[in-house]
Amino acid sequence: MADHSVTLMPRAPFADLPDWPPMPVAGCGVVVEDRDGLGIATVQARKDRVSDLARRLRERFSIELPVGAVRTTSGNVALAGIGPGAWLATCESGANGFAHGLKEGLAGLASVSDQSGGYAVLRLSGPNVRDTLYKLVPVDLHPRIFPVGGVAVTVAAHMGVTLWRLRDDANDLPVFEMAVYRSFAADFWQTLRTSASAFGVAAVCRIVTGRAEHDSRLDTLTGKDDPVSPCSLSLQESS
Amino acid sequence: MNSPSMSGSQPNRLADVGLIDRSQPLTFRFDGRRYAGYAGDTLASALLASGVKLIGRSFKYHRPRGVVCAGADEPNALVELRAGSRLEPNTRATLAELFDGLEACSQHRWPSLSFDLGALNSMLAPLLVAGFYYKTFMWPASMWERFYEPMIRRAAGLGHASTEADPDLYEKEHAFCDLLVIGGGPAGLSAALAAGRSGARVILCDDDFMPGGRLNGDRREIDGMSGSAWARAVETELAALPEVRVLRRTSVFGVYDDCTFGALERVADHMRVPAPHQPRQRLWKIVARRMVLAAGATERPIVFGGNDRPGVMMSSAVRTYLNRFGVAAGSRIVLFTATDDAWTTAIDLLDRNVAVEAIIDARSNAPASLVEAAKHRGVQVLLGTQVVATHGARSLRHVTVRSGEGRLIRLRADVLAVSGGWNPNIGLSSHLGARPLWSERLCAFVAGAGMHRFTVVGAANGSFRLSDALQEGAAAGAEAAESTGHRAAAMTIPKVAGESSGVTAFWHVAESKGKAFVDFQNDVTYDDIAIAVREGFSSVELLKRYTTLGMGTDQGRTSNVNGLAILARLTGREISETGTTTARPPLAPVSIGAFAGHHRGKMFKPTRRTASHVWAQECGATFVEASQWLRARWFATDTEQSWFETVAREVTTVRSSVGVCDVSTLGKIDVQGPDAGVFLDKVYVNTFSTLPVGKTRYGLMLREDGFVLDDGTSARLAADHYVMSTTTANAGRVMQHLEYARQVLWPDLDVQIVSVTEQWAQYAVAGPNSRRLLQRLLGNVIALADVAFPYLACAQFCWRDMIVRLFRVSFSGELAYELAVPARYGDAVIRAIMTAGADLGIVPYGTEAIGVMRIEKGHVAGNEINGMTTAADLGLGRMMSNKKDFIGRVLAAREGLAHPRRATLVGVKAIDKEARFFSGAHFLARGADVSLANDQGYLTSVAFSPMLGVWIGLGLLQGGSQRWGERIRAYDPIHGSDVEVEVVSPAFFDPEGERLRG
Repeated sequence: MADHSVTLMPRAPFADLPDWPPMPVAGCGVVVEDRDGLGIATVQARKDRVSDLARRLRERFSIELPVGAVRTTSGNVALAGIGPGAWLATCESGANGFAHGLKEGLAGLASVSDQSGGYAVLRLSGPNVRDTLYKLVPVDLHPRIFPVGGVAVTVAAHMGVTLWRLRDDANDLPVFEMAVYRSFAADFWQTLRTSASAFGVAAVCRIVTGRAEHDSRLDTLTGKDDPVSPCSLSLQESS
Repeated sequence: MNSPSMSGSQPNRLADVGLIDRSQPLTFRFDGRRYAGYAGDTLASALLASGVKLIGRSFKYHRPRGVVCAGADEPNALVELRAGSRLEPNTRATLAELFDGLEACSQHRWPSLSFDLGALNSMLAPLLVAGFYYKTFMWPASMWERFYEPMIRRAAGLGHASTEADPDLYEKEHAFCDLLVIGGGPAGLSAALAAGRSGARVILCDDDFMPGGRLNGDRREIDGMSGSAWARAVETELAALPEVRVLRRTSVFGVYDDCTFGALERVADHMRVPAPHQPRQRLWKIVARRMVLAAGATERPIVFGGNDRPGVMMSSAVRTYLNRFGVAAGSRIVLFTATDDAWTTAIDLLDRNVAVEAIIDARSNAPASLVEAAKHRGVQVLLGTQVVATHGARSLRHVTVRSGEGRLIRLRADVLAVSGGWNPNIGLSSHLGARPLWSERLCAFVAGAGMHRFTVVGAANGSFRLSDALQEGAAAGAEAAESTGHRAAAMTIPKVAGESSGVTAFWHVAESKGKAFVDFQNDVTYDDIAIAVREGFSSVELLKRYTTLGMGTDQGRTSNVNGLAILARLTGREISETGTTTARPPLAPVSIGAFAGHHRGKMFKPTRRTASHVWAQECGATFVEASQWLRARWFATDTEQSWFETVAREVTTVRSSVGVCDVSTLGKIDVQGPDAGVFLDKVYVNTFSTLPVGKTRYGLMLREDGFVLDDGTSARLAADHYVMSTTTANAGRVMQHLEYARQVLWPDLDVQIVSVTEQWAQYAVAGPNSRRLLQRLLGNVIALADVAFPYLACAQFCWRDMIVRLFRVSFSGELAYELAVPARYGDAVIRAIMTAGADLGIVPYGTEAIGVMRIEKGHVAGNEINGMTTAADLGLGRMMSNKKDFIGRVLAAREGLAHPRRATLVGVKAIDKEARFFSGAHFLARGADVSLANDQGYLTSVAFSPMLGVWIGLGLLQGGSQRWGERIRAYDPIHGSDVEVEVVSPAFFDPEGERLRG
């Protein structure tokens, strides 16, 4: 075997854009944060097993299965309802190991597919975040209509997006996250930036690296004795 | 006392009158000349203040035209605003808000506005009557394209479009509300206030930059303050309500299903250049739970001889220019009316010391109080009298009136203010199909019944009195709030003085001398309608199309009702019997730019980029659009002279050593659940439920009608988990097809599907050295020896902290694998593959090389799976299982689809090694005449085969599979080639498939 030495580094979906990240500006109306590194999986209930699935999730992972287009959270894991019998599960860390663990944990009750590389996810906050989103999505985001935990599977500038609302920030301003297929990242950012430009756009500082920490410890390619890391479940199982 | 201030530049501007901001003087240019105005002016009011009467030339006859109205209803005063890339034709001068440095030009005249050669058309008038398009220019037919049409196109049409790209930004925005109020006059403001105070979410849209509607143009008192001051106060209160939004300069142009509305906001049309990041215009999509239409009414002209001469204006417009803009439209004004309303104009003018020469009322019974008041002010009052003609070269000098006894009187006048009654603005009410109803009492059409969640109030409802407008608006606003779950407190209706709003139906002066215009914008006269009726075009819809009545950019706002009334009279019917044409969206013109929004140029449709895109760019890839994706087409080196050379190198390197290609764009669908195999059996023609875990199989799916939909492989990763691949182009369509099958056809199956196209960056590593490379890359996590991982094996395993998928499949015909890794690692892994293959001479290859290799192998692709081919046509008929049902099975057996003479897949090879042919060439027998009858099929895919050193192709040939060895022609009139070819097996290269089993 040749002794090639290659490091496999993940590449954030927005990492290669010429104008990314937007320069921090004072008093900007919209703040974006790349959520690269999230564990993401689609969870689809097996036929007639929704209540069993809900019980399994409650018992083993302390999370409620959402009913309808809403999002529940527990610890670092969240479930967003994205269609009949379908949810998008996210985990703050874990990247693509998350889906594998979830698939095993829900065996027989749900079909689970890894999407950790499939979606580019941005967190959007700031005083003008709603004004900006109204230029993108045909969804009523009024606080009474789209409360914290609300989810919408919709379209922004001809790109399919999944949108959810997080808890308000320290200034009681709304915070949203938007997931778009990774291949659209460049055009999505272009559209978002144009729509938000009148308000001023900035990125939160820590995404300047564009990489999450847990990904930086990947092995070099030696070709001979690859250490095979176990794919661990990132869900915190309740004791 | 005010008097017309004769300040040099604005002779018609009155001192101390109006809502303009005299502290902000502005200058602008019209046809190159410099003029002055104030903030708060429109282009029309500033031109009138400066004494400019002639603003444009008419559409057909090039007659001189001036300002007629004071708002959105203006048919005449269309100008070109700005210049260069921001040039904007057909702007209504009455809506164009004045800004410093504005440049406007009259349009539709040559060489100049005052001397226009096109005016010679007036002499051709007898040729340009109703239906002239269909009559005058018919013979000789040869003249049409060469002469008539270019001539008409030059003579007609309005304004020029800029030929430069629009530099401005346009955007779209969505809004949601409990109540949408359309119109910011007294009724609309009342409605918004009543609903807004309850906490309801309200959006009020007003065309104008200053809400208030008629309150800004009339002298009214509401609750002890001027009407315009009341409007400002309401606007201030609305602005303070957190759930209320007032959109000024915003026109609602369409009503769509389920209470959805389209509106255009002219965000920066009133500025020379939009501010940084500011859009020029914004297209709103508004979803409302209730709607109140308070769009007011349009004053209608009277049809009489010379009624289009500059200086003939609407009475309400004269009043608006006076009260709102401080402009005396003329210095000697005559009024011609059939309404009480015009008398108010006369009094207002007199109060501002503007000379009123006479009031001509077609009615013989105008209210005595009005008559007394006018006479008391020394105005000549002529009742039962009509204007029959106007005089003056480029603007009005005299009018001729005819008394009830037939006596003709000539009066001096520079402005003739006309009032024929009021038409409620109900265009939006018919967008969803409600037909307008004729009201004899109001002499106008009102909104028809049956509008769900819609209320019409104020003048739009035919309630022309201010007190009624305020009351109806408040009631509708409160009702809308209550019905959307809010508690509306009773609102005190402001006190206003009474008014007289009488009107008598009066349309046309029968004794007119000269052309009497019905539609100013499209130059349709009374005589045109009479001709149309004589020639049998007497239904409203035919009348409209034959005469073009109401078909201009103003959509007949001032002309339709007059036209219908004349039609009714000429055909001996009531207006209620003639009916009216139906208004459809858009109510007013909307620029294409606003509909396009951000979607211009490369952003017309979003582009999808694979995870290896940056790497491919670094490698010098040339990209090609494959549906929305960008795929590398080839990777040229600096020394290569043509793509032809590049592709040949890529192909030969793959076939001799190893190459890598990004195949991430192919659709990937996870099919899971206990019934996944059964489900695939139903959508594929062949069987998948029997596929062992760890194996991959090629599958073909049909549409319900029996034609091939798509092909690809499906791999069984676990007993309850398959992953399907589709072609790039059909990925979305196949997903829809599967969702339909799962949700509608077989809801009982326990199967779940989800697209994972984006999750996996997938690389085809192909060539005799591919195993060596991959084993080196993947190390000991998987054994790739042929016994362990044979052709069509698949596996999912953990490699370097990632779950990855590996498939031993081959499109190139070589020993090949496809490695799928999470897309985040796509960039790293393609680089790792290149590094691992460096000493093997690995090349990246693109879609052209894929195409060459698949043609060499006789694999079908989109060119062959073109929606017109069956499985049998493609030589895949034997894949169709007899043991099970599947989508398309029944209809694939139709006689026509199973016909033995159908064209089927063949390979063709040039006889002459130098000869080239092209896809699209048709097959003919040798010596056969070139005719459709002799057509035997066509070439679908063509490539130069570096392995065979000759041009080869795939095609569909009648009776094809029986004709191997036969010689035919590939005839291509487009490329001018006629090449003799040999029909062969489609599998040109390695027909036994020894290489891929490596």
